[in-house]
Amino acid sequence: MARLAPCGRRLLAIAQRLLAIAQRLLTVLLLLFIVLRVLPADPAAPAAEIGATRQQTSLDEALPMQFAIWLGWLVQGDLGHSSHLDRPVAGLLAEALPATVELAILASSVAVLLGVAGGLVLFALQWGGWQGTGGRGTGRRGETRAALAETGTMLLMSIPAFLWALLFILVFGVLLAAMPFTGRLDPGLSHPFITGFLLLDTLLVGDPRAFLSAARHMVLPAVALGIGFAPLVMRVLRASLIEAYQADYILQARLRGLSEEQVLLRHALGHAALPTLGLLRAQCGLLLGAAVLVEVIFAYPGMGRLLVDAMRNTDLSVIQGVVLAYCAVVLSANVLIDGLHLLLNPRPRAR
Amino acid sequence: MTVLRWLRSGRVLAGLLAVALVLALAVLAPAIAPHDPEAQDLTMTLQPAHLGSAYPLGTDALGRCVLSRLLFGARLALSVAIPGALGAMLLGAALAYAAGYLGGRTDRLIGRAVDAVTLFPPLILILILVFALGAGPTNLVLAIVLVDWTRFCRVLRHEVRVVVQRDHVAAARLLGFSHIRTLAIEVVPATLPLLVTLLALEMGIAVVVEAIVSFLGLGVQPDQAAWGQMIADGRTALHQAPANLLAPAAAILVTVAGFNLLGDGLGRKLAARLVEDRA
Repeated sequence: MARLAPCGRRLLAIAQRLLAIAQRLLTVLLLLFIVLRVLPADPAAPAAEIGATRQQTSLDEALPMQFAIWLGWLVQGDLGHSSHLDRPVAGLLAEALPATVELAILASSVAVLLGVAGGLVLFALQWGGWQGTGGRGTGRRGETRAALAETGTMLLMSIPAFLWALLFILVFGVLLAAMPFTGRLDPGLSHPFITGFLLLDTLLVGDPRAFLSAARHMVLPAVALGIGFAPLVMRVLRASLIEAYQADYILQARLRGLSEEQVLLRHALGHAALPTLGLLRAQCGLLLGAAVLVEVIFAYPGMGRLLVDAMRNTDLSVIQGVVLAYCAVVLSANVLIDGLHLLLNPRPRAR
Repeated sequence: MTVLRWLRSGRVLAGLLAVALVLALAVLAPAIAPHDPEAQDLTMTLQPAHLGSAYPLGTDALGRCVLSRLLFGARLALSVAIPGALGAMLLGAALAYAAGYLGGRTDRLIGRAVDAVTLFPPLILILILVFALGAGPTNLVLAIVLVDWTRFCRVLRHEVRVVVQRDHVAAARLLGFSHIRTLAIEVVPATLPLLVTLLALEMGIAVVVEAIVSFLGLGVQPDQAAWGQMIADGRTALHQAPANLLAPAAAILVTVAGFNLLGDGLGRKLAARLVEDRA
């Protein structure tokens, strides 16, 4: 009994979490329904075949009934049919969703890599390096340099992702002609479809030429999207490094005879992992939003481009499906990061 | 006094100058623009930038004056960003004070609403709101308010919770101040600096949102001069007339950097003062 009780409590906690997720999903559906079906005077009016659209989307029913019908379709896995592309929305999403997730993951990696590198430099500038930081002790020069560096990162943060994208196309695509900047593959290469993640699929079918081409096509969009988020990682890292070096465990590590590099890698950087994860969780939606224009500019076949095309053609089923998929991505990223958080941080687990 | 101290910070000053410059150009646009921003001169399309000519920054593919469109674009950008950010602040702050001060069920309900909205990527929600409400600057402002109030609400609610715990608030209640009076005299002033910082940052965000929406051609009429639309058009004529793309890009940078420096500088001064207060 005493051994079963914690297990039961854990199951209950998991059930509660699942319930909370379901509740949030329902809220998203309701909000989406309100925005797309209730706000517009007549959602089907601009569509080409009004009669067909009305019937297909059950617009003649009362609003609560419409919502119920829509939910019923969603439960059956039916996301509707694109009136403009004449294809099921689920099929469109199966291609576009992995592409966007792939871009977002690569861009976050770029942001974290650049951010950690930049954060270390910033920290070293302000504190004159981690060697010999005995807690406090930043000189006047260090402060000036830090202020300059911070104003610099502030200015970098003011450049929106789409301007980075245009700049990269101008410099690396047009002037240097070093990098491809439209689509995902060189012409003539075929697109294998197994998981939908192109980099993974080209590896799975064992086509190194296609993999290289896909990787080269990813560089500019991923860097353009990631670079704008790097300064945020940088600031979080710098703040947690400063906090870490004031903590007793760093002194203890030094007393145990660890080298400064070991102190940094094993203890100080570890301290920054949780705040960085928290930042990624909070910025996930912003990253996906910024990705929309990056996809459009690089003609990258992800959800952003699908959404913009659908809005231009007033393709209501596609808009609904894509926005729902975006929310699903945010929700899954939240759940995933919360899970990682629990793995890395033992404190809430004990409770 | 505080204002004077803020002005001594280089960052705040630089931000203020940039914002004031853009604001002045936007207000004076009708007086100083050399041409009607929508007038087309099809004999003079895609002229390169040449100071001293009739078109100092050249013309676009329809022969419209780039400089004039740039100035009127500033008008549009600020007429979306300023009311959008102010509206988002008013809505977000009102709900944050209610949630933070009243606590309990109100707090939970407002927290739920914030959670629901933030499950959408903000830009995506703005895009579909503009799609649903119809194009036009007014609807874009409305969309920004309906989405970005959560940015204010979330941060400010936390701050209000902290302030409400302080003794001077309890003292005000004991003295028999009404809730409204306690809020107005004891709570709001303590959170005002944070509010100003958030407002400046939000204006920068709104400028970018307006540029993105007009880049996609979803926000404004095709004729209307907007920085995003100028960038989208300028991409196609990069070799003949690079200023078509570079000028609006630079304008966005200056404006957003100005608001960010202002917000960040104010925020840092604020943080420094908070530390001083505690000591």
